[in-house]
Amino acid sequence: MLTLLLRAKVPNDRYNRLMLAPLPLDGIRILDLTWIIAGPVCTRILGDFGADVIKIEHEQAVDPIRMGRPIIGDGPTLNNSGFFNYINRNKRSILLNIRHPEGSDIFAQLVTESDVVIENFSSGVLESWGFGYDHLKELRKDIIYCSVSGFGHSGPDNHYTTWGPTAQALSGQTIMSGLPDAPPAGWGFSFMDHTAGYSAAIAILMALYHRDVAGDGQYIDLSQVEAGSVLTGSAVLDYTVNNRAWKRVGFPPGNHAWEPQVAPHNTYRTLERNGDDDQWIAIACLSDAEWESFVRVLKLSDDLSNEWINDSAFSTNESRLRHQESLDRNIEKWTRARDGYELMALLQSAGIKAAVCQKPGDRVETDPQLDFREWWQTVYHPELGQSTYDGVAPLLQLTPGSVRKASPMFGEHTDEVMQEVLGLSSHQIADLRAKGVFM
Amino acid sequence: MGPLENLTIVEMCGPLGEYAAKLLGDMGANVIKVELPTGSPSRKIGPFVDDIPGPNRSLNFFYHNTNKRSVVLDYRNSEEDRNLLLDLIHEADLVIEDHVPDDLPSLGIQYEEIAKRNTGLLWCSITPYGLDGPWSQYGASDMTALAAGGPMSMNGYSPEDVPDAPPIHGKGDLAYKTASHYAVIGTLVALRHRLKSGEGQLIDCSMHEALSSTTEVGLPYWLYTGKNILRQTSRHASVQRTDPWQFPTADEKYILVFGTGRSAESWLDFKKWLQNDGFGLQLDDARFDDPLARQGGRGTTESKEINSELAKFIASKSAEEIYRGAQARRLPWGTVREPHEILEDNHFRSRGHIVSVSISDENKEHEMPGAPYHLSSTPWELRLPAPELGEHTDDVLGDLQDHSLRDR
Repeated sequence: MLTLLLRAKVPNDRYNRLMLAPLPLDGIRILDLTWIIAGPVCTRILGDFGADVIKIEHEQAVDPIRMGRPIIGDGPTLNNSGFFNYINRNKRSILLNIRHPEGSDIFAQLVTESDVVIENFSSGVLESWGFGYDHLKELRKDIIYCSVSGFGHSGPDNHYTTWGPTAQALSGQTIMSGLPDAPPAGWGFSFMDHTAGYSAAIAILMALYHRDVAGDGQYIDLSQVEAGSVLTGSAVLDYTVNNRAWKRVGFPPGNHAWEPQVAPHNTYRTLERNGDDDQWIAIACLSDAEWESFVRVLKLSDDLSNEWINDSAFSTNESRLRHQESLDRNIEKWTRARDGYELMALLQSAGIKAAVCQKPGDRVETDPQLDFREWWQTVYHPELGQSTYDGVAPLLQLTPGSVRKASPMFGEHTDEVMQEVLGLSSHQIADLRAKGVFM
Repeated sequence: MGPLENLTIVEMCGPLGEYAAKLLGDMGANVIKVELPTGSPSRKIGPFVDDIPGPNRSLNFFYHNTNKRSVVLDYRNSEEDRNLLLDLIHEADLVIEDHVPDDLPSLGIQYEEIAKRNTGLLWCSITPYGLDGPWSQYGASDMTALAAGGPMSMNGYSPEDVPDAPPIHGKGDLAYKTASHYAVIGTLVALRHRLKSGEGQLIDCSMHEALSSTTEVGLPYWLYTGKNILRQTSRHASVQRTDPWQFPTADEKYILVFGTGRSAESWLDFKKWLQNDGFGLQLDDARFDDPLARQGGRGTTESKEINSELAKFIASKSAEEIYRGAQARRLPWGTVREPHEILEDNHFRSRGHIVSVSISDENKEHEMPGAPYHLSSTPWELRLPAPELGEHTDDVLGDLQDHSLRDR
């Protein structure tokens, strides 16, 4: 009864607008053999914009994220992971044993009805099942095949494997984050699982565009380490042009600026909020004009402890860079007694780039910008109840993406897909199920 | 040639959005970068060639502006140049710009007006917080964007490593790059709609929303348990403290360890590897046979003991030896490398990931990373190095006059 009441909640304006607009990837079908995070992030994006994403699952090799924390309830049911639900919305799930001869036939038929096949197995796995790119192309001439792997499908180390954090380590991002004289800080999450997923979505959309214009499909080979390496180009050029390696005295520079070299540029403690004292604001003055605004704000804030601002040590950027430690100490004395959101509003109104270091809870409960943009979307999930999701970025004014369905239950759409996509009768489906094809 | 060769793009971006136009230009699009006479702000961002600043000396600019042509138009101050810019946009398929909301409209350069004549035009606005809302006029740097968007709150140190450490801003302008990734995704999706319907549209790309979509398990934890996850040194932020993943090597590098063998077979393999060097002899005890006891993050004495033996083992060897040894045993570990070390890895070189280009001195070639993805029939290609300021003004304006802007 409670559930029914919640579902009856009046949807907001953006929700209505989203539901009425045409979906820009309507008509595109993706056979999704990916699991864990990077591949599913890619297909989440394609599904958000309207592609029919069919996630192919198998009882003997369940996507480990179906058991990923947070689990809601006493133990994993395969359908109660909040994390799985978060990255698999807008998809359909079928069970299919591709190594069963008739399962292999079903997969081949699905390929002929699809635009894209994506997988993130280790190099060679799909070939070993008889579905290398050459065979996929025989089944459907203009198929787009995308493989997402750690090291790509060619090269001497193509059998090596990664997780997001190890890809970050190998591509240079881990070491570009941290305080000097401390171990690297890394990123605190699998940034490269997101970014490999984004890169795969870009590559697939480009290949689809080419297919629509020229008629032919192609093979996309994406290495997660390479997708990370391309993000570090300036640092690589500093090495190849200036012979300067990243590791040097004072590097990584913590929250001080790398380039452009400006000060102040740091995080500063602010007042405790809701009993949590881990509160910080990031402040960056990127020009002398922004520094001068900062000085005006401090002078107006009627705080005697701001006398330091008149010190000539802080009058030029060069000098501020030399005296960054005392500059930071003085700024933090001012921020420490103030609320982060109030400081953010005060500094931004004076044209200074400042932002609260928002935690996930802050974004959901406090962030007025995300709230104004009607960012949070709610959809019902049979085991998780009313589930909240982030919205779809970017906002396409005419054909926006949308959150239409919660993540699929394990194998939820097997019958639906067999009937609707392959035209199988319920008798044929039952027959195949009895033979162990749908498991 | 790349898949986008018939697309003409007008780009008006600084550091926030210029990577989006590079991604499209690198895949074949005809990108015309329109700059004010003072040059794109990113020309003032280092590192610079020989550390000497100058509009054509920024390596930051150089990397993020390959496969573009530069046209100088003083669209802020000159009516004539403003009209030339509008003429350019009329000929284009797509505009990508990262001006603050209302800035270009205040100069009479507005999507809604231009779209009346060029109905198929796509216009991608990349802004810190989106085109409307209470923070839409707020500015952002890469760091403040990562702060507001959420990734930074997850990134930092465990208290035992660095007490009272703040959230850490990872370098590399990854906030700008994440916004650019989303901008390209949105643009390509809109392009497909245009192909079907002929309709153009406005793409409102908020860096804040792009980053708020890039915090992995952080959001589900809050949404389902009401808990914020805690920062830890070089490993996933978590609601409970977990064991370290990062260990120093004999050659003063670090190895990132991801798993020590869950199956019985891989555990034996792992154990043998350490024991061959005289480490972890006690791991033969029966109490280590239970995979749950070995699993990190559960606080067992066994997992702590494994970690302590592993730390000693790793400290006795070079990073490369550990990395290759682990991967040979199917363990997905990695060396914490500096960005340039990819140049020394034959695997990536053999895949064509490293490209050469001449910068400032035509007799010398310099290497940098190339393709983020390999498309078999329409590959990534470096056709043009980043342009000097205004290098193509005469060419492009001449082509505009001859109505041959789209011929290349």
